[in-house]
Amino acid sequence: MLEVRNLCKSFGGLQVTRDISFALEPGERRVILGPNGAGKTTLFNLLVGTLTPSSGDILLDGRSVRGLSVAARARAGLSRSYQKNNLFEALSIRENLLLAAAAGHGKADTILRDSFRDGAVRETVAQVAEQVALTSMLDLPVRSASYGARRQLEVGLALATRPQILLMDEPTSGVGPTMIEGFHRLLHSLPRELTVLIIEHDMDLAFDVADRITVLNFGEVVFEGTPEETHGNKVVRDIYLGDWQADA
Amino acid sequence: MFRQTLPRTLVLLVTLAGLALYAILGGFFARELVVSIAILAILAVSLDVVAGFGGMVSLAHGAMMGLAAYTYAILSVKLGWPLLPSAILGVGASAVFGTLIGWITGRTTGIFFIMATLAFGQMAYTVFFKWRWLGGDDGMGGIKRFDLGWAGIDLDDSLIFALFALALLAMVYAAAAWVLRSAFGRTLSGIHSNEDRMRALGVNTVLHRARALGFSALLAGVAGILAAQHVLYISPELLVWTVSGEVLIVVILGGLGTLIGPLVGAVIFVLLKDAISDYTDHWHIVIGLLLIATVLAGGRGIYGQIEHWLSRRISSPPEPEEAGDA
Repeated sequence: MLEVRNLCKSFGGLQVTRDISFALEPGERRVILGPNGAGKTTLFNLLVGTLTPSSGDILLDGRSVRGLSVAARARAGLSRSYQKNNLFEALSIRENLLLAAAAGHGKADTILRDSFRDGAVRETVAQVAEQVALTSMLDLPVRSASYGARRQLEVGLALATRPQILLMDEPTSGVGPTMIEGFHRLLHSLPRELTVLIIEHDMDLAFDVADRITVLNFGEVVFEGTPEETHGNKVVRDIYLGDWQADA
Repeated sequence: MFRQTLPRTLVLLVTLAGLALYAILGGFFARELVVSIAILAILAVSLDVVAGFGGMVSLAHGAMMGLAAYTYAILSVKLGWPLLPSAILGVGASAVFGTLIGWITGRTTGIFFIMATLAFGQMAYTVFFKWRWLGGDDGMGGIKRFDLGWAGIDLDDSLIFALFALALLAMVYAAAAWVLRSAFGRTLSGIHSNEDRMRALGVNTVLHRARALGFSALLAGVAGILAAQHVLYISPELLVWTVSGEVLIVVILGGLGTLIGPLVGAVIFVLLKDAISDYTDHWHIVIGLLLIATVLAGGRGIYGQIEHWLSRRISSPPEPEEAGDA
């Protein structure tokens, strides 16, 4: 479904990702682990088109998306949530979701009707609001919402576009244990046909939801395997205990 | 995000009714003022669509208006085409010009967008200023008003023409409000609010901004046709950048991003200019001071400030009563 081939990205002399390759199967839950600076968010930016790779390729359903813009990749089914909230601050939670759902339904351009009154769009908003536990706060202005609610909305916006592949960049970043529990439930409640790629630091969440785990360090894949294999892997343990060093 | 609230509808209806009454009860000069207000208000509403709801502050709206007026004059006067098709093509030419500007400048924002639109506007101005076939800086005469005799309407009558101008203003406002409330308008506001996120949601923001500028130019073109039929003469002065600057002042004065505010701003601007001009030629100073005061008061504009003040009064909780009050 999504295949990454030898993806490299350099900023001048600094190589941020090196020969990253992996493939996602339809419906797979893949977690990307790695310490700060491992190149995880850069990888996401390359996947969605915010950054252009120095070399390598990204294939969606067997076709390269390298030449596609951010918007075209989103329309092709790649939708992301951000590590730092990137919302429509002046609008309510409902209006945020309506904008995303209208785009997801391909109803963002017409002048003939109000997308906010469209039945299918509103239904998607209701479903997503339920999924991310924001139903009771829909009319709250985003700028008045708590940090936790904003994190939920961040994921909600990505979901409302009805993606094929959902990319979640540290969804639990900065939230408390209760809300992390909510994300466990959310991830388990997502339809199985949706493919999910998650960058996550919370190990419990990562091991709970992952079918496979890819570990990055210094911009390269150092391990890939099931959660059980990851548990017992010395390289992974060393990275998280700080003993791992990149090959010279 | 645009909302046509009840107060806004009331202000629209009261303003249009007041202007119509002023035209009916006043003499020729009152009617001239009403037509001037209608032309300026149409242009201001068209600018507010992109500046207030799309974040695209354009200094090419004078050129868009002028292009429509010149296209109308070329087709109807020089080529002898019927008036209505000439007007439709004039408005269309303006829309194409606006879309092109939007497409080319679609990736620029802020000061760079403003300067790019200024450059396009001045290029259009220079073309008509230098083009002798169109009269160059002397302009062009011989323009005619629509012949609506079949409907018993004589647009050469100053009162009828003033009411016709108000009807066009009402239609332009309704069209702008319709589009801003449509999916297209919602998306435009979303782009203004957070363009990166809209892109990530799958919206081609460059194309969307170009279309929005095209629609805005179409509305500005209506002002151009009306301006040409008002004085039956056009000159490159219609396209000069100070016209665009003046419209921007009207939008800010009335209330950027409210749609009704620019209409109110046009009424205040024209009436104030007319009243002050009786005493001094330096009416710019008074308008300038008013603009500075408006900006310093929070930048909401006169209508925007009143609306903000009223909404705070309505939504603020009542003062707590002190215990023991009789």
